[in-house]
Amino acid sequence: MRQGRADEYAEFATARAGHLYRSACLLTAGDTHLAEDLVQETLGRLYVRWGRVSRAQNPAAYAQTVLTRTFLAHQRRRSSGERTTDAFPDLPGAADGDAPLRLTLLAALARLPAKDRAVVVLRYWEDRSVEQTADVLDVSSAAVRTRSVRALGRLRELLGGDLAEYARP
Amino acid sequence: MPEDQHGEQYDDAFEGRLAAALRATGGGFDTDRTALADAGRARGRRLRLRRRAAVLGGVAGIAAVGVGGALFVAPGDAPGSRLPAAAHSAAPAASASPGPAAREYTGDEILRALKELLPEGEFSQEEARGTEDELPPSARLVYDDGKGAAAIGLSLGRVEPGSQEARQVTRCPDEVFVPHDSCTTSRLPDGSVLMLFQGYEYPDRRVDTRWWAAELVTPEGRHVSLSEWNAPAEKDAAVSRPEPPLSPEQLKEVVTAGVWRAVVDAVPEPPMPSATPSAPPRASGESVGETLAGLLPEDVEVVGKGGQEGDYAYVVVDDGEGRSLVQINVQHGMADVADQLYGSGETLPDGTRVATRKGNGDDRVAGVVMWTVDTLRPGDDGFRVVISAFNNGAAHAEPTRDTPALTMEELRGIALSPEWDTMR
Repeated sequence: MRQGRADEYAEFATARAGHLYRSACLLTAGDTHLAEDLVQETLGRLYVRWGRVSRAQNPAAYAQTVLTRTFLAHQRRRSSGERTTDAFPDLPGAADGDAPLRLTLLAALARLPAKDRAVVVLRYWEDRSVEQTADVLDVSSAAVRTRSVRALGRLRELLGGDLAEYARP
Repeated sequence: MPEDQHGEQYDDAFEGRLAAALRATGGGFDTDRTALADAGRARGRRLRLRRRAAVLGGVAGIAAVGVGGALFVAPGDAPGSRLPAAAHSAAPAASASPGPAAREYTGDEILRALKELLPEGEFSQEEARGTEDELPPSARLVYDDGKGAAAIGLSLGRVEPGSQEARQVTRCPDEVFVPHDSCTTSRLPDGSVLMLFQGYEYPDRRVDTRWWAAELVTPEGRHVSLSEWNAPAEKDAAVSRPEPPLSPEQLKEVVTAGVWRAVVDAVPEPPMPSATPSAPPRASGESVGETLAGLLPEDVEVVGKGGQEGDYAYVVVDDGEGRSLVQINVQHGMADVADQLYGSGETLPDGTRVATRKGNGDDRVAGVVMWTVDTLRPGDDGFRVVISAFNNGAAHAEPTRDTPALTMEELRGIALSPEWDTMR
Protein backbone atom coordinates (compact mmCIF):
# COMPACT_ATOMS: atom_id res chain seq x y z
CA MET A 1 0.00 0.00 0.00
CA ARG A 2 1.32 3.40 -0.86
CA GLN A 3 2.09 5.83 1.90
CA GLY A 4 -0.75 8.19 1.07
CA ARG A 5 -3.21 5.34 0.92
CA ALA A 6 -1.77 3.77 4.03
CA ASP A 7 -2.29 7.02 5.93
CA GLU A 8 -5.80 7.31 4.59
CA TYR A 9 -6.55 3.77 5.64
CA ALA A 10 -5.07 4.26 9.11
CA GLU A 11 -7.12 7.39 9.61
CA PHE A 12 -10.29 5.65 8.49
CA ALA A 13 -9.67 2.57 10.62
CA THR A 14 -9.02 4.58 13.75
CA ALA A 15 -12.02 6.79 13.15
CA ARG A 16 -14.40 3.89 12.52
CA ALA A 17 -13.05 1.25 14.92
CA GLY A 18 -15.09 2.46 17.86
CA HIS A 19 -18.40 2.45 16.02
CA LEU A 20 -17.71 -0.88 14.34
CA TYR A 21 -16.86 -2.35 17.73
CA ARG A 22 -20.11 -1.12 19.25
CA SER A 23 -22.07 -2.53 16.31
CA ALA A 24 -20.22 -5.81 16.66
CA CYS A 25 -21.03 -5.92 20.38
CA LEU A 26 -24.72 -5.65 19.55
CA LEU A 27 -24.48 -8.21 16.75
CA THR A 28 -22.74 -10.67 19.08
CA ALA A 29 -25.13 -9.81 21.90
CA GLY A 30 -22.32 -8.69 24.16
CA ASP A 31 -19.53 -11.14 23.31
CA THR A 32 -16.78 -8.54 23.37
CA HIS A 33 -13.98 -10.94 22.41
CA LEU A 34 -15.81 -12.09 19.33
CA ALA A 35 -16.71 -8.47 18.62
CA GLU A 36 -13.05 -7.47 18.64
CA ASP A 37 -12.18 -10.38 16.43
CA LEU A 38 -14.89 -9.45 13.95
CA VAL A 39 -13.78 -5.84 13.83
CA GLN A 40 -10.17 -6.88 13.28
CA GLU A 41 -11.23 -9.20 10.50
CA THR A 42 -13.37 -6.46 8.99
CA LEU A 43 -10.58 -3.91 9.12
CA GLY A 44 -8.19 -6.54 7.75
CA ARG A 45 -10.45 -7.19 4.76
CA LEU A 46 -10.84 -3.48 4.19
CA TYR A 47 -7.07 -3.12 4.24
CA VAL A 48 -6.69 -5.70 1.51
CA ARG A 49 -9.29 -3.98 -0.64
CA TRP A 50 -8.60 -0.43 0.40
CA GLY A 51 -8.10 0.78 -3.15
CA ARG A 52 -11.68 -0.07 -3.94
CA VAL A 53 -13.12 0.77 -0.54
CA SER A 54 -11.66 4.25 -0.52
CA ARG A 55 -13.41 4.98 -3.80
CA ALA A 56 -16.74 3.73 -2.54
CA GLN A 57 -19.40 6.37 -2.08
CA ASN A 58 -19.62 5.71 1.61
CA PRO A 59 -16.67 3.75 3.01
CA ALA A 60 -18.17 3.78 6.50
CA ALA A 61 -21.32 2.05 5.26
CA TYR A 62 -19.20 -0.36 3.27
CA ALA A 63 -17.28 -1.23 6.43
CA GLN A 64 -20.55 -1.90 8.21
CA THR A 65 -21.58 -4.23 5.39
CA VAL A 66 -18.33 -6.16 5.62
CA LEU A 67 -18.75 -6.44 9.38
CA THR A 68 -22.30 -7.73 9.11
CA ARG A 69 -21.40 -10.28 6.44
CA THR A 70 -18.34 -11.44 8.35
CA PHE A 71 -20.51 -11.90 11.42
CA LEU A 72 -23.11 -13.90 9.52
CA ALA A 73 -20.50 -16.09 7.85
CA HIS A 74 -18.97 -16.76 11.24
CA GLN A 75 -22.37 -17.65 12.69
CA ARG A 76 -23.16 -19.98 9.83
CA ARG A 77 -20.04 -21.98 10.48
CA ARG A 78 -20.48 -21.82 14.18
CA SER A 79 -24.06 -22.99 14.19
CA SER A 80 -23.06 -26.14 12.35
CA GLY A 81 -21.04 -27.41 15.28
CA GLU A 82 -20.00 -25.06 18.01
CA ARG A 83 -21.98 -24.80 21.21
CA THR A 84 -24.37 -21.92 21.39
CA THR A 85 -23.99 -20.00 24.53
CA ASP A 86 -26.31 -17.88 26.54
CA ALA A 87 -23.51 -16.81 28.85
CA PHE A 88 -22.06 -13.32 28.81
CA PRO A 89 -18.70 -13.79 30.44
CA ASP A 90 -17.65 -10.20 30.07
CA LEU A 91 -20.67 -8.49 31.40
CA PRO A 92 -20.32 -7.70 35.06
CA GLY A 93 -23.55 -8.03 36.93
CA ALA A 94 -25.11 -10.47 34.49
CA ALA A 95 -25.72 -12.87 37.33
CA ASP A 96 -27.34 -10.29 39.56
CA GLY A 97 -31.04 -10.62 40.02
CA ASP A 98 -31.43 -6.96 39.29
CA ALA A 99 -29.73 -6.89 35.91
CA PRO A 100 -29.55 -3.51 34.29
CA LEU A 101 -31.66 -3.02 31.23
CA ARG A 102 -28.73 -3.25 28.84
CA LEU A 103 -28.13 -6.80 29.98
CA THR A 104 -31.77 -7.64 29.52
CA LEU A 105 -31.60 -6.20 26.03
CA LEU A 106 -28.42 -8.13 25.16
CA ALA A 107 -29.91 -11.32 26.52
CA ALA A 108 -32.99 -10.78 24.37
CA LEU A 109 -30.84 -10.11 21.29
CA ALA A 110 -28.90 -13.29 22.01
CA ARG A 111 -32.09 -15.28 21.65
CA LEU A 112 -32.74 -14.08 18.14
CA PRO A 113 -31.36 -15.97 15.16
CA ALA A 114 -28.21 -14.28 13.88
CA LYS A 115 -29.83 -12.95 10.74
CA ASP A 116 -32.74 -11.46 12.66
CA ARG A 117 -30.27 -9.82 15.00
CA ALA A 118 -28.44 -8.37 12.02
CA VAL A 119 -31.72 -6.95 10.73
CA VAL A 120 -32.47 -5.35 14.09
CA VAL A 121 -28.99 -3.87 14.41
CA LEU A 122 -29.00 -2.51 10.88
CA ARG A 123 -32.47 -1.04 11.05
CA TYR A 124 -32.61 0.29 14.60
CA TRP A 125 -28.97 0.93 15.45
CA GLU A 126 -27.57 1.79 12.06
CA ASP A 127 -30.80 3.47 11.03
CA ARG A 128 -30.86 1.78 7.65
CA SER A 129 -33.95 1.57 5.52
CA VAL A 130 -35.45 -1.76 4.58
CA GLU A 131 -33.83 -1.54 1.13
CA GLN A 132 -30.44 -0.68 2.51
CA THR A 133 -30.69 -3.53 4.97
CA ALA A 134 -31.65 -5.86 2.15
CA ASP A 135 -28.55 -4.77 0.22
CA VAL A 136 -26.27 -5.46 3.13
CA LEU A 137 -27.74 -8.89 3.76
CA ASP A 138 -28.04 -9.70 0.09
CA VAL A 139 -31.69 -10.67 0.43
CA SER A 140 -34.94 -9.20 -0.91
CA SER A 141 -36.57 -6.33 0.92
CA ALA A 142 -39.57 -8.57 1.43
CA ALA A 143 -37.34 -10.95 3.34
CA VAL A 144 -36.07 -8.09 5.48
CA ARG A 145 -39.64 -7.06 6.26
CA THR A 146 -40.54 -10.55 7.32
CA ARG A 147 -37.51 -10.86 9.53
CA SER A 148 -38.11 -7.43 10.98
CA VAL A 149 -41.66 -8.24 11.93
CA ARG A 150 -40.67 -11.55 13.44
CA ALA A 151 -37.72 -10.12 15.37
CA LEU A 152 -39.71 -7.21 16.71
CA GLY A 153 -42.46 -9.54 17.83
CA ARG A 154 -39.97 -11.71 19.64
CA LEU A 155 -38.22 -8.75 21.29
CA ARG A 156 -41.54 -7.27 22.35
CA GLU A 157 -42.36 -10.58 23.96
CA LEU A 158 -38.96 -10.84 25.69
CA LEU A 159 -38.61 -7.24 26.75
CA GLY A 160 -42.23 -6.33 27.20
CA GLY A 161 -42.50 -3.28 29.36
CA ASP A 162 -38.80 -3.25 30.20
CA LEU A 163 -38.13 -0.62 27.58
CA ALA A 164 -40.60 1.78 29.11
CA GLU A 165 -37.83 3.99 30.41
CA TYR A 166 -36.89 4.66 26.80
CA ALA A 167 -40.35 5.99 26.04
CA ARG A 168 -40.06 9.27 24.23
CA PRO A 169 -40.89 12.21 26.44
CA MET B 1 -43.64 -0.88 -4.65
CA PRO B 2 -43.49 1.63 -1.86
CA GLU B 3 -41.32 0.61 1.04
CA ASP B 4 -40.56 1.92 4.46
CA GLN B 5 -38.56 5.06 4.51
CA HIS B 6 -36.70 6.42 7.46
CA GLY B 7 -39.45 8.76 8.47
CA GLU B 8 -42.01 6.04 8.91
CA GLN B 9 -39.71 3.64 10.55
CA TYR B 10 -40.55 4.36 14.10
CA ASP B 11 -44.32 4.90 14.09
CA ASP B 12 -44.57 2.06 16.45
CA ALA B 13 -43.72 3.21 19.95
CA PHE B 14 -41.94 -0.02 20.68
CA GLU B 15 -39.63 0.49 17.70
CA GLY B 16 -38.70 3.92 18.95
CA ARG B 17 -37.93 2.59 22.41
CA LEU B 18 -35.94 -0.28 20.96
CA ALA B 19 -33.83 2.11 18.90
CA ALA B 20 -33.17 4.25 21.98
CA ALA B 21 -32.30 1.18 24.07
CA LEU B 22 -29.89 -0.04 21.37
CA ARG B 23 -28.19 3.33 21.27
CA ALA B 24 -27.80 3.38 25.04
CA THR B 25 -26.56 -0.21 25.15
CA GLY B 26 -24.27 -0.02 22.14
CA GLY B 27 -22.84 3.28 23.31
CA GLY B 28 -21.84 1.61 26.56
CA PHE B 29 -19.25 -0.58 24.88
CA ASP B 30 -15.88 1.04 24.74
CA THR B 31 -12.53 -0.08 23.45
CA ASP B 32 -9.09 1.19 22.59
CA ARG B 33 -9.80 2.32 19.06
CA THR B 34 -6.19 2.76 18.10
CA ALA B 35 -5.21 -0.68 19.28
CA LEU B 36 -8.16 -2.18 17.46
CA ALA B 37 -7.32 -0.29 14.28
CA ASP B 38 -3.69 -1.40 14.51
CA ALA B 39 -4.71 -4.99 15.03
CA GLY B 40 -7.03 -4.75 12.05
CA ARG B 41 -4.27 -3.40 9.86
CA ALA B 42 -1.92 -6.14 11.04
CA ARG B 43 -4.54 -8.71 10.12
CA GLY B 44 -4.94 -7.07 6.74
CA ARG B 45 -1.24 -7.33 6.14
CA ARG B 46 -1.27 -10.97 7.08
CA LEU B 47 -4.25 -11.60 4.82
CA ARG B 48 -2.50 -9.87 1.99
CA LEU B 49 0.64 -11.88 2.58
CA ARG B 50 -1.23 -15.12 2.67
CA ARG B 51 -3.09 -14.21 -0.45
CA ARG B 52 -0.17 -13.95 -2.73
CA ALA B 53 3.25 -15.08 -3.53
CA ALA B 54 4.87 -13.11 -0.79
CA VAL B 55 8.04 -11.20 -1.32
CA LEU B 56 9.69 -13.34 1.29
CA GLY B 57 8.32 -16.40 2.95
CA GLY B 58 6.82 -17.19 6.30
CA VAL B 59 7.91 -15.14 9.22
CA ALA B 60 10.22 -13.17 7.00
CA GLY B 61 7.34 -12.09 4.85
CA ILE B 62 5.41 -10.84 7.78
CA ALA B 63 8.29 -8.90 9.17
CA ALA B 64 9.30 -7.46 5.82
CA VAL B 65 5.97 -5.83 5.22
CA GLY B 66 7.14 -2.61 6.75
CA VAL B 67 9.40 -2.32 3.77
CA GLY B 68 7.71 -4.30 1.08
CA GLY B 69 4.10 -3.62 1.91
CA ALA B 70 4.11 -0.33 0.14
CA LEU B 71 5.28 -1.88 -3.04
CA PHE B 72 4.14 -5.27 -3.87
CA VAL B 73 0.62 -5.71 -5.02
CA ALA B 74 -0.11 -9.19 -6.21
CA PRO B 75 -2.80 -10.27 -8.66
CA GLY B 76 -4.91 -11.63 -5.80
CA ASP B 77 -5.25 -8.14 -4.42
CA ALA B 78 -7.08 -6.81 -7.40
CA PRO B 79 -9.77 -4.41 -6.28
CA GLY B 80 -12.44 -6.50 -7.98
CA SER B 81 -11.53 -9.59 -6.00
CA ARG B 82 -14.64 -10.74 -4.21
CA LEU B 83 -13.65 -13.97 -2.61
CA PRO B 84 -13.23 -14.00 1.13
CA ALA B 85 -9.60 -13.83 2.04
CA ALA B 86 -9.69 -17.26 3.57
CA ALA B 87 -10.41 -18.73 0.20
CA HIS B 88 -7.23 -17.23 -1.14
CA SER B 89 -5.13 -18.14 1.78
CA ALA B 90 -5.44 -21.84 1.56
CA ALA B 91 -5.81 -23.09 -1.94
CA PRO B 92 -5.76 -26.75 -1.16
CA ALA B 93 -4.75 -29.62 -3.30
CA ALA B 94 -7.28 -32.29 -3.99
CA SER B 95 -5.11 -34.76 -2.12
CA ALA B 96 -5.63 -32.80 1.08
CA SER B 97 -9.40 -33.09 0.91
CA PRO B 98 -10.96 -34.37 4.05
CA GLY B 99 -12.68 -37.67 3.61
CA PRO B 100 -16.40 -37.80 4.23
CA ALA B 101 -15.69 -39.25 7.66
CA ALA B 102 -13.59 -36.28 8.80
CA ARG B 103 -15.04 -34.99 12.04
CA GLU B 104 -15.08 -31.44 13.23
CA TYR B 105 -12.98 -30.13 16.06
CA THR B 106 -14.29 -27.46 18.38
CA GLY B 107 -12.14 -24.71 19.76
CA ASP B 108 -12.25 -26.37 23.17
CA GLU B 109 -10.92 -29.61 21.74
CA ILE B 110 -8.06 -27.82 20.06
CA LEU B 111 -7.20 -26.08 23.32
CA ARG B 112 -7.32 -29.34 25.19
CA ALA B 113 -5.03 -31.03 22.67
CA LEU B 114 -2.57 -28.15 22.87
CA LYS B 115 -2.50 -28.19 26.67
CA GLU B 116 -1.90 -31.92 26.69
CA LEU B 117 1.16 -31.43 24.54
CA LEU B 118 2.68 -28.75 26.76
CA PRO B 119 4.70 -29.57 29.86
CA GLU B 120 3.10 -29.14 33.28
CA GLY B 121 2.10 -25.59 34.02
CA GLU B 122 -0.73 -23.16 34.49
CA PHE B 123 -2.95 -21.97 31.69
CA SER B 124 -4.97 -18.80 31.38
CA GLN B 125 -6.54 -16.49 28.79
CA GLU B 126 -7.50 -19.41 26.64
CA GLU B 127 -9.12 -18.70 23.31
CA ALA B 128 -9.64 -20.91 20.33
CA ARG B 129 -11.46 -21.38 17.11
CA GLY B 130 -12.59 -24.73 15.81
CA THR B 131 -12.70 -26.17 12.34
CA GLU B 132 -16.27 -25.12 11.69
CA ASP B 133 -15.46 -21.43 11.79
CA GLU B 134 -15.27 -18.96 8.96
CA LEU B 135 -11.77 -18.17 10.17
CA PRO B 136 -9.01 -20.80 10.29
CA PRO B 137 -8.62 -22.92 13.41
CA SER B 138 -6.35 -21.48 16.05
CA ALA B 139 -5.66 -21.46 19.74
CA ARG B 140 -4.04 -18.94 22.02
CA LEU B 141 -3.28 -19.14 25.66
CA VAL B 142 -0.95 -17.88 28.31
CA TYR B 143 1.23 -20.62 29.73
CA ASP B 144 3.24 -20.43 32.91
CA ASP B 145 5.67 -23.22 33.75
CA GLY B 146 6.48 -21.45 37.02
CA LYS B 147 9.15 -19.21 35.50
CA GLY B 148 6.94 -16.53 34.02
CA ALA B 149 3.79 -16.18 31.93
CA ALA B 150 4.25 -16.63 28.20
CA ALA B 151 1.88 -16.24 25.27
CA ILE B 152 1.57 -19.24 23.00
CA GLY B 153 -0.25 -19.22 19.71
CA LEU B 154 -1.11 -22.06 17.39
CA SER B 155 -2.57 -21.76 13.95
CA LEU B 156 -3.51 -24.44 11.51
CA GLY B 157 -4.20 -24.35 7.81
CA ARG B 158 -3.31 -25.61 4.40
CA VAL B 159 -0.88 -24.62 1.74
CA GLU B 160 -0.66 -26.08 -1.69
CA PRO B 161 1.88 -28.91 -1.54
CA GLY B 162 5.00 -28.15 -3.49
CA SER B 163 3.95 -24.57 -4.10
CA GLN B 164 6.09 -21.55 -3.64
CA GLU B 165 3.99 -20.66 -0.62
CA ALA B 166 4.72 -24.05 0.94
CA ARG B 167 8.43 -23.48 0.52
CA GLN B 168 8.30 -19.93 1.77
CA VAL B 169 6.50 -20.84 4.95
CA THR B 170 9.39 -23.04 6.02
CA ARG B 171 12.25 -21.06 4.55
CA CYS B 172 14.43 -19.25 7.05
CA PRO B 173 14.13 -15.51 6.68
CA ASP B 174 16.97 -13.54 5.23
CA GLU B 175 19.11 -11.84 7.88
CA VAL B 176 18.92 -8.67 5.86
CA PHE B 177 15.23 -8.40 6.63
CA VAL B 178 14.73 -10.33 9.83
CA PRO B 179 17.65 -10.39 12.20
CA HIS B 180 17.43 -13.52 14.32
CA ASP B 181 19.48 -15.64 16.68
CA SER B 182 18.90 -18.98 15.07
CA CYS B 183 16.91 -20.58 12.31
CA THR B 184 17.05 -24.05 10.84
CA THR B 185 15.00 -25.82 8.22
CA SER B 186 15.02 -29.58 8.04
CA ARG B 187 13.20 -32.39 6.32
CA LEU B 188 11.64 -34.96 8.62
CA PRO B 189 11.50 -38.71 7.88
CA ASP B 190 7.87 -38.47 6.74
CA GLY B 191 8.74 -35.81 4.18
CA SER B 192 7.48 -32.86 6.20
CA VAL B 193 9.55 -29.72 6.25
CA LEU B 194 10.13 -28.03 9.58
CA MET B 195 11.49 -24.59 10.31
CA LEU B 196 12.57 -23.69 13.83
CA PHE B 197 13.01 -19.97 14.30
CA GLN B 198 14.37 -17.97 17.21
CA GLY B 199 14.04 -14.26 16.75
CA TYR B 200 12.30 -11.17 17.97
CA GLU B 201 8.79 -9.83 17.87
CA TYR B 202 10.12 -6.57 16.54
CA PRO B 203 12.84 -7.03 13.94
CA ASP B 204 14.35 -3.72 15.01
CA ARG B 205 14.32 -4.96 18.61
CA ARG B 206 12.98 -1.70 19.95
CA VAL B 207 11.38 -3.93 22.55
CA ASP B 208 13.23 -7.07 23.43
CA THR B 209 10.32 -9.46 23.19
CA ARG B 210 11.60 -12.77 21.88
CA TRP B 211 9.51 -14.64 19.39
CA TRP B 212 10.24 -18.30 18.76
CA ALA B 213 8.31 -20.33 16.27
CA ALA B 214 8.01 -23.68 14.59
CA GLU B 215 6.48 -23.96 11.12
CA LEU B 216 5.65 -27.41 9.83
CA VAL B 217 4.37 -28.25 6.35
CA THR B 218 3.52 -31.87 5.64
CA PRO B 219 3.83 -33.41 2.18
CA GLU B 220 0.04 -33.11 1.87
CA GLY B 221 0.19 -29.37 2.53
CA ARG B 222 -1.02 -29.27 6.09
CA HIS B 223 0.50 -26.27 7.81
CA VAL B 224 1.01 -26.15 11.57
CA SER B 225 2.42 -22.98 13.06
CA LEU B 226 3.30 -22.58 16.71
CA SER B 227 4.67 -19.38 18.21
CA GLU B 228 5.74 -18.46 21.69
CA TRP B 229 6.96 -15.32 23.37
CA ASN B 230 8.77 -14.49 26.58
CA ALA B 231 5.90 -12.23 27.56
CA PRO B 232 2.22 -12.84 28.25
CA ALA B 233 1.26 -11.17 24.97
CA GLU B 234 2.85 -10.78 21.55
CA LYS B 235 2.95 -7.06 21.84
CA ASP B 236 2.46 -4.45 24.51
CA ALA B 237 3.27 -6.70 27.44
CA ALA B 238 6.34 -6.52 29.62
CA VAL B 239 8.90 -9.28 29.15
CA SER B 240 8.26 -11.84 31.89
CA ARG B 241 11.24 -14.17 31.51
CA PRO B 242 14.57 -14.29 29.66
CA GLU B 243 13.38 -16.72 26.99
CA PRO B 244 10.11 -18.29 25.86
CA PRO B 245 9.26 -21.48 27.78
CA LEU B 246 9.58 -24.16 25.09
CA SER B 247 12.91 -25.11 23.58
CA PRO B 248 13.06 -25.56 19.80
CA GLU B 249 13.02 -29.31 20.40
CA GLN B 250 9.81 -28.95 22.41
CA LEU B 251 8.27 -26.74 19.73
CA LYS B 252 9.04 -29.48 17.25
CA GLU B 253 7.33 -32.08 19.42
CA VAL B 254 4.17 -30.02 19.61
CA VAL B 255 3.87 -29.17 15.91
CA THR B 256 4.58 -32.72 14.78
CA ALA B 257 1.83 -34.21 16.95
CA GLY B 258 -0.58 -36.27 14.88
CA VAL B 259 -3.67 -34.51 16.19
CA TRP B 260 -3.00 -31.35 14.16
CA ARG B 261 -3.05 -33.28 10.92
CA ALA B 262 -6.49 -34.56 11.80
CA VAL B 263 -7.66 -31.06 12.67
CA VAL B 264 -6.42 -29.59 9.39
CA ASP B 265 -8.14 -32.39 7.50
CA ALA B 266 -11.39 -31.37 9.14
CA VAL B 267 -11.28 -27.78 7.88
CA PRO B 268 -13.96 -27.30 5.24
CA GLU B 269 -12.58 -26.80 1.78
CA PRO B 270 -12.73 -23.18 0.77
CA PRO B 271 -14.39 -22.69 -2.59
CA MET B 272 -11.84 -22.77 -5.35
CA PRO B 273 -11.57 -19.48 -7.23
CA SER B 274 -11.70 -21.35 -10.52
CA ALA B 275 -11.16 -24.88 -11.68
CA THR B 276 -7.55 -24.52 -12.68
CA PRO B 277 -6.20 -21.03 -12.48
CA SER B 278 -3.78 -20.73 -15.33
CA ALA B 279 -0.40 -20.18 -13.85
CA PRO B 280 0.97 -16.87 -15.03
CA PRO B 281 4.49 -16.97 -16.34
CA ARG B 282 6.99 -16.22 -13.65
CA ALA B 283 10.35 -14.60 -13.71
CA SER B 284 12.84 -16.47 -11.62
CA GLY B 285 14.46 -14.64 -8.76
CA GLU B 286 17.87 -15.66 -9.95
CA SER B 287 17.47 -14.15 -13.38
CA VAL B 288 15.87 -11.06 -11.87
CA GLY B 289 18.86 -10.63 -9.59
CA GLU B 290 21.35 -11.13 -12.40
CA THR B 291 19.57 -8.75 -14.71
CA LEU B 292 19.39 -6.16 -11.96
CA ALA B 293 23.10 -6.50 -11.21
CA GLY B 294 23.85 -6.04 -14.89
CA LEU B 295 21.89 -2.80 -15.07
CA LEU B 296 23.42 -1.08 -12.06
CA PRO B 297 25.54 2.01 -12.65
CA GLU B 298 29.27 1.37 -12.73
CA ASP B 299 30.12 3.52 -9.75
CA VAL B 300 28.42 1.22 -7.26
CA GLU B 301 29.73 -2.04 -5.93
CA VAL B 302 27.44 -4.93 -5.10
CA VAL B 303 28.22 -6.00 -1.53
CA GLY B 304 25.27 -8.31 -0.98
CA LYS B 305 22.39 -9.89 -2.80
CA GLY B 306 19.50 -12.23 -2.26
CA GLY B 307 15.85 -12.97 -2.83
CA GLN B 308 16.42 -15.85 -5.20
CA GLU B 309 12.81 -16.86 -5.01
CA GLY B 310 10.00 -16.02 -7.36
CA ASP B 311 9.97 -12.68 -9.05
CA TYR B 312 11.86 -10.78 -6.42
CA ALA B 313 15.50 -9.93 -5.90
CA TYR B 314 17.54 -7.44 -4.01
CA VAL B 315 21.08 -6.19 -3.97
CA VAL B 316 22.97 -4.18 -1.41
CA VAL B 317 25.23 -1.69 -3.11
CA ASP B 318 27.90 0.68 -1.90
CA ASP B 319 29.20 3.66 -3.83
CA GLY B 320 31.79 4.40 -1.16
CA GLU B 321 29.43 6.55 0.87
CA GLY B 322 27.47 3.85 2.65
CA ARG B 323 25.37 0.82 1.96
CA SER B 324 22.09 1.06 0.12
CA LEU B 325 19.48 -1.63 -0.31
CA VAL B 326 17.89 -1.94 -3.76
CA GLN B 327 14.86 -4.17 -4.26
CA ILE B 328 13.12 -5.14 -7.44
CA ASN B 329 10.00 -7.06 -8.34
CA VAL B 330 9.13 -8.31 -11.81
CA GLN B 331 5.51 -9.36 -11.94
CA HIS B 332 2.93 -10.50 -14.45
CA GLY B 333 -0.80 -10.03 -14.48
CA MET B 334 -0.85 -6.65 -12.80
CA ALA B 335 -2.97 -4.78 -15.36
CA ASP B 336 -6.08 -4.93 -13.20
CA VAL B 337 -4.51 -2.85 -10.49
CA ALA B 338 -3.06 -0.29 -12.87
CA ASP B 339 -5.32 2.49 -11.72
CA GLN B 340 -4.54 1.75 -8.13
CA LEU B 341 -0.81 1.87 -8.77
CA TYR B 342 -0.36 4.37 -11.54
CA GLY B 343 -3.41 6.58 -11.24
CA SER B 344 -1.32 9.61 -10.52
CA GLY B 345 1.61 8.68 -12.73
CA GLU B 346 2.59 9.43 -16.29
CA THR B 347 2.08 7.41 -19.45
CA LEU B 348 4.97 7.18 -21.90
CA PRO B 349 4.42 7.39 -25.67
CA ASP B 350 4.63 3.58 -25.98
CA GLY B 351 1.89 3.19 -23.36
CA THR B 352 4.15 2.23 -20.47
CA ARG B 353 2.83 3.66 -17.24
CA VAL B 354 5.27 5.06 -14.72
CA ALA B 355 4.74 6.14 -11.15
CA THR B 356 7.52 7.49 -8.97
CA ARG B 357 7.59 8.30 -5.32
CA LYS B 358 9.97 9.32 -2.60
CA GLY B 359 8.70 8.24 0.74
CA ASN B 360 9.51 6.84 4.10
CA GLY B 361 11.10 3.44 3.96
CA ASP B 362 10.25 2.07 7.33
CA ASP B 363 7.67 3.29 9.77
CA ARG B 364 9.74 1.88 12.59
CA VAL B 365 13.14 3.41 11.90
CA ALA B 366 13.39 7.16 11.71
CA GLY B 367 15.05 8.67 8.71
CA VAL B 368 14.81 5.75 6.32
CA VAL B 369 13.80 6.88 2.86
CA MET B 370 12.59 4.77 -0.02
CA TRP B 371 12.73 5.93 -3.61
CA THR B 372 10.59 3.98 -6.00
CA VAL B 373 10.03 3.79 -9.72
CA ASP B 374 7.06 1.62 -10.62
CA THR B 375 6.40 0.70 -14.24
CA LEU B 376 3.73 -1.23 -16.12
CA ARG B 377 4.36 -2.19 -19.74
CA PRO B 378 1.41 -1.96 -22.11
CA GLY B 379 -0.20 -5.26 -23.04
CA ASP B 380 -2.46 -7.95 -21.75
CA ASP B 381 0.24 -9.58 -19.68
CA GLY B 382 0.26 -6.75 -17.13
CA PHE B 383 4.04 -6.79 -16.93
CA ARG B 384 5.26 -4.75 -13.99
CA VAL B 385 8.78 -3.82 -12.98
CA VAL B 386 9.08 -1.95 -9.73
CA ILE B 387 12.35 -0.94 -8.15
CA SER B 388 13.08 0.75 -4.85
CA ALA B 389 16.26 2.01 -3.30
CA PHE B 390 16.81 2.79 0.36
CA ASN B 391 19.32 4.81 2.33
CA ASN B 392 20.06 1.87 4.60
CA GLY B 393 21.78 -1.44 3.95
CA ALA B 394 19.16 -3.75 5.41
CA ALA B 395 15.51 -3.51 6.28
CA HIS B 396 15.00 -2.14 9.78
CA ALA B 397 18.60 -0.95 9.93
CA GLU B 398 19.57 2.59 10.76
CA PRO B 399 20.16 4.89 7.81
CA THR B 400 23.71 4.77 6.50
CA ARG B 401 23.43 7.88 4.37
CA ASP B 402 21.04 10.68 3.50
CA THR B 403 19.73 9.35 0.22
CA PRO B 404 19.88 6.02 -1.64
CA ALA B 405 22.97 5.25 -3.70
CA LEU B 406 20.97 5.39 -6.93
CA THR B 407 19.27 8.51 -8.23
CA MET B 408 15.66 8.51 -9.33
CA GLU B 409 16.89 8.85 -12.91
CA GLU B 410 19.06 5.76 -12.52
CA LEU B 411 16.19 3.80 -10.98
CA ARG B 412 13.97 4.84 -13.84
CA GLY B 413 16.57 3.73 -16.37
CA ILE B 414 16.78 0.32 -14.73
CA ALA B 415 13.02 -0.19 -14.47
CA LEU B 416 12.43 0.81 -18.10
CA SER B 417 15.32 -1.19 -19.50
CA PRO B 418 14.37 -3.45 -22.43
CA GLU B 419 16.34 -6.20 -20.68
CA TRP B 420 13.28 -7.01 -18.63
CA ASP B 421 11.19 -7.69 -21.70
CA THR B 422 12.93 -11.03 -22.10
CA MET B 423 11.02 -12.16 -19.01
CA ARG B 424 7.61 -11.39 -20.43
